[in-house]
Amino acid sequence: MRPAPALAEGFPDLSGMRIAREPHWFRWISAALIVVVLAAIVRAFANGQIEWSYVSRFLTVKVILEGIVNTMVMAVLAMMLGIVLGIVVAIMRLSPNPVLKTVAAGYTWLFRGTPLILQLLLWFNLALVFPTIGIPGLWSARAVDVMTPFLAALLGLGINQGAYTSEVMRAGMLSVDIGQYEAAQAIGMGRLRALRRIVLPQAMRVVIPPLGNEFIGMVKATSLASVIQYPELLHNAENIYYANSRVIELLIVAGLWYLLVVSILTPLQMLLERRFARGTLRLAR
Amino acid sequence: MTRLSHFLGLAALAAVTSAQAAELPAEIKQAGTLKLTVNSTYAPMEYRDPATNELVGLDVDLANELAKRLGGLKIVWSETPFAELIPSLQTKRADFIISGISDRASRRETADFVDYLATGPQFFVMADNAAKDATDLCGKKVGTTRSTSFPVEIEKWSKQNCEAAGKPAIQYVPGENSIDVRNQLKQGRIDAAVQGSETLPYAQSQEPGKYRIVGEAFAKGYQGIMFRKDDVALREVVTEKLAAMISDGAYKAVLDKWGLGANAVEKPMLNAAPQ
Amino acid sequence: MTKPLVAIRSVSKSFGEFQALKAVSLDVWPGEVMCLIGASGSGKTTLLRCINQLAMIDSGGIWLDGELLGVREQGGKLHRLSEREIGRQRLKTGMVFQRFNLFPHKTALENITEGPTQVQGRKLDEVRSEALELLRRVGLAAKADSYPAQLSGGQQQRVAIARALAMKPMLMLFDEPTSALDPELVGEVLAVMKELAKSGMTMMVVTHELGFAREVADRVVYMDQGAIVEQGRASDVLGTPREERTKAFLSAVI
Repeated sequence: MRPAPALAEGFPDLSGMRIAREPHWFRWISAALIVVVLAAIVRAFANGQIEWSYVSRFLTVKVILEGIVNTMVMAVLAMMLGIVLGIVVAIMRLSPNPVLKTVAAGYTWLFRGTPLILQLLLWFNLALVFPTIGIPGLWSARAVDVMTPFLAALLGLGINQGAYTSEVMRAGMLSVDIGQYEAAQAIGMGRLRALRRIVLPQAMRVVIPPLGNEFIGMVKATSLASVIQYPELLHNAENIYYANSRVIELLIVAGLWYLLVVSILTPLQMLLERRFARGTLRLAR
Repeated sequence: MTRLSHFLGLAALAAVTSAQAAELPAEIKQAGTLKLTVNSTYAPMEYRDPATNELVGLDVDLANELAKRLGGLKIVWSETPFAELIPSLQTKRADFIISGISDRASRRETADFVDYLATGPQFFVMADNAAKDATDLCGKKVGTTRSTSFPVEIEKWSKQNCEAAGKPAIQYVPGENSIDVRNQLKQGRIDAAVQGSETLPYAQSQEPGKYRIVGEAFAKGYQGIMFRKDDVALREVVTEKLAAMISDGAYKAVLDKWGLGANAVEKPMLNAAPQ
Repeated sequence: MTKPLVAIRSVSKSFGEFQALKAVSLDVWPGEVMCLIGASGSGKTTLLRCINQLAMIDSGGIWLDGELLGVREQGGKLHRLSEREIGRQRLKTGMVFQRFNLFPHKTALENITEGPTQVQGRKLDEVRSEALELLRRVGLAAKADSYPAQLSGGQQQRVAIARALAMKPMLMLFDEPTSALDPELVGEVLAVMKELAKSGMTMMVVTHELGFAREVADRVVYMDQGAIVEQGRASDVLGTPREERTKAFLSAVI
């Protein structure tokens, strides 16, 4: 075996020395400052003109709990509607058919281009435009009887959400390598089946983080339905303070519940992300 | 009489005379402005003229006249939702509130009312509705603005006049504001609506022939100018000027301008509403 | 005379300004192993993709097993077939891609059973035993439940071959099957392809592996700039090329 060449002089062997720990002064000082500021804020609120007894009294009252249930029910249902619409519209947008493409683009433009609260008000007051709705010859009904606050909120929130979700889904589907689609076609799959079995499941991994985010936004967007009399959390909290004038206390009650819900949802979203990453984890070889 | 009783007597006299010649609080006098906040969705009391977007209304005219008589004060107007009126007064965002707000016992915990207009909730329906008497509305859907005192009034009236007579109770349907309530009436989501009797002549003039009033204003009460409980001096000087406006006809002129001559009061009253 | 399995007549295909295929004509016989060689952009991959209709030809015709692909002749004009009919035609070919394109969210076994169960509607139990047999044939029976991410490149490509074979095609198309592999993994894939050739499968292989071509190919076709320059027995085209361009290409590659 040929011997290795001799190493040059002047470069000592440092392998025996350890790297010293840095004191990170700036971190300690800034942390201390932040703690001081937070303590001051907490103290200010504690001494402010808030009757905390009202907050604790109304925190778990029946009307508030009903409000939370209604909020969550609406958030889940509207999100489901939004996801279904989002997938359909995204597929339409990526279709070779120009009519489908244009309809999809038009839907996205219309429902992303107007404020959500405006859409909710339009749905709720639909009977001003169409006093009766129905299928000619089959069924008709008064629009006001059909368009309850629940349905108006569901349609308003869900259809609006669909416009945003469709963009997320479209990005997700485009992120899947085109080779996947070609491999599916090569074994005889049609476009829709390839989308359903091969492309969408892979798109899910890319799509879950933004969708989880959208759902958290949806939970709070339901508060807009208070103006169309859907009895969600904010609406019910308002009714209480309309009666007893305790505006800030009841808003704090509502705010605390929203915070709690979001704090539970955030780690759940992370679990969901991990499940969809199955099969794509890079194992150490 | 002892020196002490002399002194006490003079002090009492001084107090009485100084109370009679009510004075504007120093801060307002110094600033030369009056801060007022209104919920401007309540025609004809206070609203934005759809043509000019100007803030107009009965309360606006009364306030302007009061400001003039209080020594040429300039009014700084701000707007707020109805539910924020009381907090605005408490936080001193407003010096007093003249915004179509009813004098009610539940509100007197933190405020005093100088009553200046007779009012009361009133049922009304679409002109083609069959209801003739208010009791025809038992069991029907009746809507009103949820942030007002009217939901409670409707419930009370229903108990006394519907349920007591063996009829089904009125079904209350909430609305966001008086415009929303009229929309729901037009669409048929509600059979009847309740608004303060002071707003109905205006609504009818805007949409002639569309609505019909049913029965009398139930639960007669008053609209009051709202003051903080400790703001006695301001309350008294405003009461004085209002009384002057009533006696010299300026008050009636404003009311007639807005079609509410029938709702006039004879003199300003303190916390006089029966509810 | 037996009919060719694939008959390509005057096929042209352009991508925008670029002409990938210029009136190419070619026959492929049943049981034949054909290797297509040439520089990138020569049109060899495009030709393959036209046969399983991942690319649509602009003019000319391709017949597979006697059936015209992609269009139907009616009243003197050609009408495009529906997506469903094209899908049915694709079942006759199997394709192996340069980048494997295994479905990452499915195991090796699931990748293979996907086509037969979903597209051909066959029962899973039946298909599973066939799939295991295919895995054994490519030497990966032990990896049935592994996900693609857990397999090496060579293993993935072998699963891809099994996946294509599961559809029982009459023609196998290989688009540079070993170009994306580390050198030490190329051999295992070529071994599978050799075994496949020996078993009588008709194969069209786009490749740079001239050693494989020399060993296994019945015919070598050299393409350049969208046209066939020279074709013939491997020993002839690779050993004693007649065209100048062929000579130039081979000397650059070897």
